[in-house]
Amino acid sequence: MAFRYAVGGFGLVVMAFGGFLLVREPEPWRIAGWLAGGVLVHDALVAPLVIAVAALAAAAGLRLRGAARAALIVAGSLTVIALPPLLRPGGVANATVLPLDYPRNWLLAMAVLAVLAAGYAGARACVRRVARRRAAKPQG
Amino acid sequence: MPFTPPHGPPVTFGARLHDARTATVIGRLLGLAVLVCFATGVLSHYLQHPPPWLADRLPSRPYWGYRLTQGLHVASGIAAIPLLLAKLWTVYPRLFARPPVRSVRHALERLSVAVLVAAGIFELFTGLLNTFQWYPWPFSFVPVHYAVAWLLLGAMLLHVAVQWPRIREHFTRRSPGTLALPEADGPDRRQLLAAVAAGVGAVTLATVGQSVTVLGPAALFAPRSPAHGPQGLPVNRTAAAARVTEASLADWRLTLAGPRPYSLTLAELRALPQHEVTLPIACVEGWSKSARWTGVRVRDLLERAGAGPDARCRVVSMEAAGAYRVMEMGRLYAQDPLTLLALRLNGEVLSLDHGYPARIIAPNRPGVLQTKWVGRLEVV
Repeated sequence: MAFRYAVGGFGLVVMAFGGFLLVREPEPWRIAGWLAGGVLVHDALVAPLVIAVAALAAAAGLRLRGAARAALIVAGSLTVIALPPLLRPGGVANATVLPLDYPRNWLLAMAVLAVLAAGYAGARACVRRVARRRAAKPQG
Repeated sequence: MPFTPPHGPPVTFGARLHDARTATVIGRLLGLAVLVCFATGVLSHYLQHPPPWLADRLPSRPYWGYRLTQGLHVASGIAAIPLLLAKLWTVYPRLFARPPVRSVRHALERLSVAVLVAAGIFELFTGLLNTFQWYPWPFSFVPVHYAVAWLLLGAMLLHVAVQWPRIREHFTRRSPGTLALPEADGPDRRQLLAAVAAGVGAVTLATVGQSVTVLGPAALFAPRSPAHGPQGLPVNRTAAAARVTEASLADWRLTLAGPRPYSLTLAELRALPQHEVTLPIACVEGWSKSARWTGVRVRDLLERAGAGPDARCRVVSMEAAGAYRVMEMGRLYAQDPLTLLALRLNGEVLSLDHGYPARIIAPNRPGVLQTKWVGRLEVV
């Protein structure tokens, strides 16, 4: 119990140090705006979007479980980290910064993922069908 | 713990797994990633801006130290992105707790979670964009990313302390809290966690090739590629950006300031004993690549200027302006036999963008401190 309070208290001290560093920056309210903005974008945009996708899929009779859900999670993760090079405006400092064809790479990643997920789902369906047929046959 | 408001059915948006076991398992991994990211980030901060008492104690070994730690900094930050999103998804229904505030203590707890979430999103967002050299915000990246890192660490420690009883109750599969959850959720949860782990693996594989050279071809979304760059090495600051031209280097001489000052032409420098070392250039932005460097030991140059064995040195670049035009090197770096004033890179004369006619290459050191277009060395 005492240890718990010590960790919590230490956390408050560390937070205060971070806050102290922040208010020493010029125009700290603008930083606060960006801090709050991130939460707002997640809570009011990203999370409802994910929930809406799941709800729409459910309404269409799709159960987003197993391979389909995993494929969507991986695709979403990859897309989030691909967004900066895909959306970044303006020129780059030199030819070795952002040297790759990011739109092509993103399409490639999504295609590989779709093939893997479809292959997995297909293989699973085959295994199930074989297992069902075996179960249906009289043993002996 | 599934959130159950006093009125009406639980807010779960039709999905399951918004429970404390899922939050604990993802939270542990996320906490680990944040700790690695924080430790490697603070390390880089002190290597780049050492306080005077530390400058002469910074070790130049292991030579791959900065490469490893900054590769880990960016990799752990990127790995934290799917983990943070999954963690926020798990606890999202708690945002709509009713009543929103039960007591002063509850209000403070919610406020600390708001700070934690804000700082977490902010650090991963600004850090990711920094690797792509994209700065859409109206503040300076380095000091603000550093300050919010402390805010994040503190809020995370406080959060763990506040939630500790619940974490302990759900720490293992056989913990009492876990066993109290619907048994049918078990396989579903393991599937979800496996999917999140696959997401972490995918984002890591798609970026880590910028520092792990053999995985370069898999780095689909890395901002740097080991395969791109003159003489086999990426460039951060070009000669054009530093306003250094062939013409401005026409009568270049290396000046040594110290008890016995002297200067050398490039031909004289080439006539001194040359050494070859294999050392990486490692950037705080996460990318790194090893290369073969040939040149004169900084230690030898300083000694010839009358420096003692405890001397450190100041290096001045020919560039017109820049935050790193003047660089100081602590004793252990200056005296390390691997620290060179390099003239050649991968068997060729340095290209202008890599710092022709002479640049510093030292072990275990941030890329910005590997000063290019060196014009002057001072014994300090």
